[in-house]
Amino acid sequence: MQPRSEFPAHPSPSNAATMSPQPAAPVAATPRSKTGVQWLFQNVVWLWLAALIVIFGVLNPFFFTLSNLQNVLVQATVLGLLALAVSLPLMVAEIDLSIASNMGFSAAIGAIVTTRLGLSPAIGVPVGIAAATAIGFFNGLCVTRLRMVSLIQTLAVMIVLQGSLLAVTQGNTISDMPNLYIWIGQTTLGNWPVMPVVFLIALLGMGFLLRKTVLGRSLYATGGNALAANSAGIRVNRVKIIAFTLSGLLSGVAGYLLAAWQMAITSDQGEGFLLYAIAAPIIGGVSVFGGRGGAAGILGGVLLLTVIHVGLAITEVPSFYVQMIGGILIFIAVAVDAIRVNFVSQ
Amino acid sequence: MADSSTEYILRTHNLVKRYKNVAALDHVSINIRRSTIHGLLGENGAGKSTLVSLISGLTAPTEGTITFAGEQVQGFDVKQMEALGVFLVTQEPMIVESMSVADNLMLGRWPVKRGRGLMKTVDQRALLANAVAALEGTGLDPRMPARTLSAVAKRKLNILRALHSGGKLLILDEPTAALTLADRDHLFGFMRSLKAQGVSFVFISHYNEEILGICDAVSVLRNGRLAGEMDDISSITSDNLSELVIGRDVPLFYRDRATRHAHATSEGWRVEGLVAPNIAVGNFTIAPGEIVGFAGLPGSGAKEFGLSLFGLNRAKQGHITHGAQRYGFAQHPEDAFARGIAYLSDDRHRDGLVGLQSIAQNITLSSLGKVSRAGVIDAFAEKQVVKRYFDHLRVKAVAPSVLLGTLSGGNQQKVCLGRVLATDPKLLILDEPTRGIDVGVKEEVHRIIDALTREGLSVIVITSDLDEMVRMVDRVCIFVGGQIEQEFTGADIDKDAILQAAFGTALAN
Repeated sequence: MQPRSEFPAHPSPSNAATMSPQPAAPVAATPRSKTGVQWLFQNVVWLWLAALIVIFGVLNPFFFTLSNLQNVLVQATVLGLLALAVSLPLMVAEIDLSIASNMGFSAAIGAIVTTRLGLSPAIGVPVGIAAATAIGFFNGLCVTRLRMVSLIQTLAVMIVLQGSLLAVTQGNTISDMPNLYIWIGQTTLGNWPVMPVVFLIALLGMGFLLRKTVLGRSLYATGGNALAANSAGIRVNRVKIIAFTLSGLLSGVAGYLLAAWQMAITSDQGEGFLLYAIAAPIIGGVSVFGGRGGAAGILGGVLLLTVIHVGLAITEVPSFYVQMIGGILIFIAVAVDAIRVNFVSQ
Repeated sequence: MADSSTEYILRTHNLVKRYKNVAALDHVSINIRRSTIHGLLGENGAGKSTLVSLISGLTAPTEGTITFAGEQVQGFDVKQMEALGVFLVTQEPMIVESMSVADNLMLGRWPVKRGRGLMKTVDQRALLANAVAALEGTGLDPRMPARTLSAVAKRKLNILRALHSGGKLLILDEPTAALTLADRDHLFGFMRSLKAQGVSFVFISHYNEEILGICDAVSVLRNGRLAGEMDDISSITSDNLSELVIGRDVPLFYRDRATRHAHATSEGWRVEGLVAPNIAVGNFTIAPGEIVGFAGLPGSGAKEFGLSLFGLNRAKQGHITHGAQRYGFAQHPEDAFARGIAYLSDDRHRDGLVGLQSIAQNITLSSLGKVSRAGVIDAFAEKQVVKRYFDHLRVKAVAPSVLLGTLSGGNQQKVCLGRVLATDPKLLILDEPTRGIDVGVKEEVHRIIDALTREGLSVIVITSDLDEMVRMVDRVCIFVGGQIEQEFTGADIDKDAILQAAFGTALAN
């Protein structure tokens, strides 16, 4: 279930002095109390991340290079956007399992509009993202108006979309995208890839949404206690539909970026991302029961999974063991988080 | 030794419980006589819960001992206390709704036919036979699915389960919460009949009249200490109890009905031709600054009327006039807030508060439109609103950033009140506004509401606490069968008259 794309292993021209492995939290964490142990638990994702960076760096000093940092950021982009997409329904105590398949399917729609109909990517890409958004909106309608259980409803949509991708690609890989289409995934500015900027913007947007806006408050309240939110005058169904729609939008953007970066859309594009995309925000403190979580935590969870992924790839762990060890490291992160939640709730 | 073992079922001797350096319980000795109902009274945080958790074996005391039937209890453990016969019956009925009454009665102790471990098969016939015997004369049908039981029947089932497991002393933690008056009397009758059979009870309640109505003896806790213990409460009055609970003469609030004056700046409300599920009201008016009490049995329409005004019980017909404006009925609380109608729920945990969010976020939850521009929250404006209600309602918390779920019931209720007041309502509907909060906070809430009506706010109070009704409202509407059957105003507002009019038919049964 590893993300199928291998990171491009740039030979490192930089020397060890230019390392900057510590990612800084751009968005402040949720309100925390100041006692030492609690602070430790609140930030356990970041501590675990720092520990892994040190471990991988000791095992292979290449891990501390600038080009590896750039690689981590590129790898984190698609997973990060998907993690944000997963988080929105989780905030309102729902779940969307269709995001990864939505990512693959909507990218194929956009690419086909570009390659088969010969339209500009300036039209094709928005069409693909619009399709993903519409699918998210549809999920929201099913969950609220028809009161379908999101776990099963989005599971069904996931299967439909996986099948649809196979149908529209006829089992082939779409790879003849024009340069303009793949620009975002291939361009570097002074050696720095452009793609992570999209994730950064989305992350800051999410942080702003959750902390500063009425919609953000409504998301938390709906997930925290939907009945109370409704009685407080919040249109709970509307908030849920918006959460699913934004989730679809983010999946569409992630799908486009993945295609532009890989320069290809396979007939099973996106498979393998789903479980990691769900794990990342939960490790970062988003509650599966709704009403809890923030952008900073999601970033922490995404970076943690990416560091594990990239770190195992460059430390010459025999490939047969990579998935197992990766799974164990994720398990530890989830277990520590569970301890944290128990500790804080006492 | 023999003496005390016959007279007292359970005694505590100088129990102390310290959490870090704070004494939650400070040298408390209580004596519970056999076959009595022993009241336990005190404000939130007075130490009731701590005492109960010590007696039931949930936690061990820092100092002191407990004797059960004359024998000193060794070690503190729930299983051991249950083996002795001490059972805690909590506020929330612990019932598996999808199973039958019989299954629930013997939950986890089902009679086994054969097999071992998880392969054991339950002897359905013996189960039913046992249940039929145990439930005889209680009015519970062992075959019924538990989900179909009424609130009072669920509480009875909980009590019966404890008895069936060998309970001799049952600790009932606020067993009357969310029960109607008639159900409460039913439960009391049931407790008396069990008492006659030799069962002892510890009865925890916030209501003086309940303590006086059912208990034989009472212990009052205040700030972790025993404020008083009375073996015989026949000569005690409600005011005596309140004084013990609070530790001073509580000046009980009485609304001054005489000095109400017309408000030139405010408009009254008129409801016409309302038809909604379980309620039909042809005409109802409320003046600015007026407090109207609604009384009635569940399903009588008192609550339904309030919910219809607020959009939670969707009206099919009818309209509301407020001054020159005329509306249809709100179809969602958002509409109601926009028109100046606010509703405070009777069950704050169900639909009143978001425990995961801070006090501040809860206070502004219903008025986010007022503290934001283009969907973005103005942190400064929000802070002002939060500060106003946090201070005005005197919420006891370190700061408004504290999670609401961590506060005591009374303070949570204040925050809920703050949330609806922050919408700047013109008509406020309060559904059991002081349920489950202690005397001190209760009086505070009454005063706050009274003060607001002096500024022109119209208030509807739906309450089953007749004491509260009599002291607080200007007019009482009695609901029967979905209609307003009778009204009392001014000096005619009398506890017995309301009781007779609103609940009379039920009490006769």
